Order: sequence, then C-alpha cells, then structure tokens
Amino acid sequence: MTSASAHAPVLRPALQAIVGALTWKRAAVAAVLALLVAALLNPVFTVPFWVLLGRMVFIAALLLITFAAAGTWHPSGVARWLAQVLAVVIAAPIATLLAYLPSIDGNLANLLSHEGRVMGFIYITATVLVIAPLLALGALYRERDAQARAAQLGFALEKSTLEKEALDTRLKLLQAQIEPHFLFNTLANVQALVESGSPQAAPVLKSLIAYLRAAMPRLHAEASTLANEIALVRSYLELMQMRMPDRLQFSIDVPADIAVREFLPMSVLTLVENAVRHGIDPGEGGGRIDISARHEADGSIRVVVADSGAGMNPSALPGTGLTNLESRLRGFFGAAGRLELHEARPHGLSAEIVFPARPSIEAPAAPPVARP
Amino acid sequence: MTAATALVADDEPLLRERLRAHLARLWPELEVVAEARNGREAIELFETHLPRIAFLDVHMPGLNGIDAARAIARRAEIVFVTAHEHYAAQAFEHGAIDYVVKPFEEARLADSVTRLKSRLAAPQALPADFEAVLERLAGELKARGGAEPGRKYLQWIRASVASSVRLIPVEQIAFLRSDEKYTLVAWEGGEALIRISIRELAEELDPGTFAQIHRSVIVNLRQVAQVDRGFNDTAEVRLKNRREVLPVSRSFLHVFRQM
Repeated sequence: MTSASAHAPVLRPALQAIVGALTWKRAAVAAVLALLVAALLNPVFTVPFWVLLGRMVFIAALLLITFAAAGTWHPSGVARWLAQVLAVVIAAPIATLLAYLPSIDGNLANLLSHEGRVMGFIYITATVLVIAPLLALGALYRERDAQARAAQLGFALEKSTLEKEALDTRLKLLQAQIEPHFLFNTLANVQALVESGSPQAAPVLKSLIAYLRAAMPRLHAEASTLANEIALVRSYLELMQMRMPDRLQFSIDVPADIAVREFLPMSVLTLVENAVRHGIDPGEGGGRIDISARHEADGSIRVVVADSGAGMNPSALPGTGLTNLESRLRGFFGAAGRLELHEARPHGLSAEIVFPARPSIEAPAAPPVARP
Repeated sequence: MTAATALVADDEPLLRERLRAHLARLWPELEVVAEARNGREAIELFETHLPRIAFLDVHMPGLNGIDAARAIARRAEIVFVTAHEHYAAQAFEHGAIDYVVKPFEEARLADSVTRLKSRLAAPQALPADFEAVLERLAGELKARGGAEPGRKYLQWIRASVASSVRLIPVEQIAFLRSDEKYTLVAWEGGEALIRISIRELAEELDPGTFAQIHRSVIVNLRQVAQVDRGFNDTAEVRLKNRREVLPVSRSFLHVFRQM
C-alpha cells in the first residue's frame, strides 16, 4: 500500500505526459507514413498488402509511444532529444520483431529458417531505421518551435500589460497633480495673511496663481524652457517657505546659458515636491533644498535637486511621480535623458536629471506660453 | 471653576497665529498657555501646563496630531484641526473628538467653542471607544503616508558609482550576478558592485518581479527579452537593455515553464 501510494504521484504525471505527447497530429503522421512505407514495400513482399500494412501500423504506433515515453525521461548526462532518438532507433528492430510474432507463432526459429521472412524483417527494420529517427528529429524541432512561440506570446502579453499600466499611471498623475492637502493648507495660510492685513499676502497669492496655472492638469504639456520651470519651482518653494519659515531654506543656482534650454515641464517641480514631502516635511528640524545645474564633461547637462532630509529608505516604494518622470524624460530627451538618485552628504537625497545638450531656444527666456 | 486653558499645536506658524486670533475674539477668557510645532512638543507642553483643551493639527512632523492625542488620552478636550476632512469627520461621527477643517470659517470655530464651553462646565465621560477611534485614525494616516501593510520588498539598491552613492530603483535593474566577494548589479547604461550576497537579495527582492535562475544569478523578469531553450533542460536568457546572455540552470528552469 505504502509503496503504491508513494509511486502514484510520480507515475501519474509521467503517464499524463506520455498521453499528452501522443497528439492526433502525430498519430495521423505516423499512420500516413505507415501506409506509404507499406505501399512502397508491397512489391517485394509476398504477403497480402493488408498484412504488411497491419505490421507497419503496429510498428509506427509502438515507436510513437516509445518516442513519447522517452520524452518524459530525464537522464543525467544525456540530452533529452538524443535519448528520444536513441530510444526510437533501439525500439525499431524490436517493434519489427514484435510485428512478426503473430505470423511465426511466437517462435523465433520460424523466422530465421524462412529466408523470405528474414529478408522482410531486414527490409522493414532498415526502412524504419531510416524514417523513424528523421521523424523524431522533425517532431522535436516542431516542439521547440512551438515552445519559442508560446514564450514570445507570453512576453508580448506582458509587454502590452506594462504599456497599459504606464498609461494608467499617466492618467492617475493627471488626475492627482494638485494635492488637496497642499492646496487647502496653502489657502489657509493665505487667509491668515489677508485677515491680518499682511503686506505679504499679495506676493504669496501671485506665487499660488503661478503654481496653480502650471500644475493644472493638461493632456499635452508643451515644451518649455528650464527658466520657466525654475520660475515655477521658485513659486512653489516660496509658498512652502511661507508655510514653514523656520523649517525650510532653499537656494537656486542655474547658469543663464542652461536656463534658456528647452526643458520638460513639471520635471524639476516633481523632484522639489518630493524633496519637500519626503525630505523636509517629515523632520521636526526641516532642512535645505539646493537646486543647481551644470555642464558635464561628456557634454550632457545635469540639473540637481539636493535635500538635507533623512534620505531614502531602501524599501520605500518609489512614488508614481518618480517612476513617471523617468519615462517622461526618455520621451522628451530620448534615450540619453534619465533620472539619477544619489545619496547627499552628510544625509539626504540628491535627485538629478541628466539630458543631452540640445541646441538652446534662440529667443530670450520667454514668459510662460499663454494658453487659450 | 478652573480657568479655561488651551494648547495650540500646528507646524505652520501662520495657522497657529490665525487660530489664536480667532479664539481670542470668540472666547476672550480662554488662555492659550502653550504653542507647539510638532507632536513631540505638544505632548511635552501638555505635561508641563496640563491645559483643559488641545487644538491639534493632524499632519505634523515627527509625531503627528493623532499620536499626541493618544498620549494626552482622556486628560483634555481634543479638537483636531486638519485639511483632511475625511479623518476628522470620522472621529466626529463617533462623538469622541471635535474637529475644525482648515481653512476654517469663524462661524464653524464658534460652534466648536460653544461645545467646548458646555463640556468644560459639565464634564462628560468620553465614549468607551475613544481609544479605538484614535487607533483606527492613526492606522489610516499611516496607510495614506505610503506605509503599506504587509511584506516590504527591497525597492532601491545602494551602490557606489564613481565618487557618489547611487540609489538604483530595482525595476531598472536587469540582473544581479555574484562575482566572487561582491555582487554585480547591472542596469541599462551602468553597473556597480555591491556587498549584499545573491542569497540575501533573493530573499529581499519581490519574487513577483525577480527570479533566481542560477546559483549565482537573479534576473528581473520584466527586463527579459527572450528565453532560448537549449537541449538537456537548460536555457539562456536574453535581456532587453543589456548584451549579456544569462544561463538558466536546470533546477531553476521552472521559472519559465508557465511563460
């Protein structure tokens, strides 16, 4: 009992695999070939055609089962395909001999004593030995091909899933660009300034309007200059500094020749918002955000947003903002556009946009493009 | 009757000032005895002054307003001041905690002041589920903040590149391969050596994206371009953004079986 139950789980999958390999297509090919070989050998045989056909069909069936069974066997040191072809080669004469058993009454001497039968045996064995291994190789080739195609389909499916995910993220970003928490807290601050008659109220409102105009969801963000983007970032940082004057310091240092370049809108802002949310805001003491830009030795340009916060936790999920920015940078600057994250010293995160130095826009830094 | 005293906690100074100004107008007898800039200060100042009312901003750095409310527990009347109406409304539904939504109208603050005055005059016991409500709010706030429940996998790999320490998002990594003492991390356009072993990485990376395909190799399944099956139950993996061809050993072939 115990041995039976121990064997069953091993045996059943093996049987299933053998049955699975015996497709209708393979059976049909084997049957047609058996018919052809029988027709081919018929002139040299004295036995009636249907006897010959019967033998051939029997041999073909036996070899097909052998092929399938050898496929489930995983020998160490011998490749599976070789094992399968060898099994077919070894099985060929045995199958032929078995096919002769009915006509010789199970007595081997009857076969050897009859010259015609010996010749028939040799004819059939030789033919089978030529055809069967070729057929086995053909079947193996088709099997590999099918596997490769299945794998390819799997990848194509995965690719389309990923593309759909990317689109979903983009749509989600469009919906949730202005965080209500940010907006209402900022408005509460503006309200406080207005009520107390502070002269700060007007410039703060100006910053808020500039920020809202730029951050409003748009489907097709047009190209802008880095100067425009920096102006937006400045508005945002001024708003945040009004809200947390004792906890946020910032500096912006972008050379004029870099500022006039074409740039991806909402990119530096995404990094600065991240720096505030994850670097500065969580800490009681706050910190600094330093924005700079420089030419690199390899001709590319690097825009750096460095904060002095706690830095990145290795298991912190990358926000959709960062993931999205990476693909937007590629879309805008080509393959050379990328986002790099470095640890800042002594602590904090430095998020850096690297892009190829494209020709700069000729006109002097234009005011933000007016939209209809 | 003891004097009406209050603590105001908000990390944004203009908002503390505004609340104080409105309270002074609506309730001149109320004495604001302390102002806190975060949850930790709120708790400390509460212990020092033991005010009868605590106005707490929910979002504060370090310890937040809900943490502070849990520390104060039933020793003061608590009013949450928040831009997130959602949390406050939930707490209020249970009758446990009053709230004011920022930016607030003076009329709305006046309602709270009326309720506070009557509660101070005739103290009522807080409902039994007061702590449970705070507990749930704290949990929700954490979930919003991105601290997802459940298992956390490695999302970033720290690697020294040139003179700086880069943080490589794991989704960009093509593969990781053990290289004697170190592990080679390879992504499109770069590679670096790190000190974490393949075995540790196999445990810390998300198994939905990363699979070990060889004793010394882990591959990012999303960066696989194709898998070429060799004879003898082995395979080779080609990548989308790297030239390397990675070996798949027989014992890991099952990774690609369902593909």
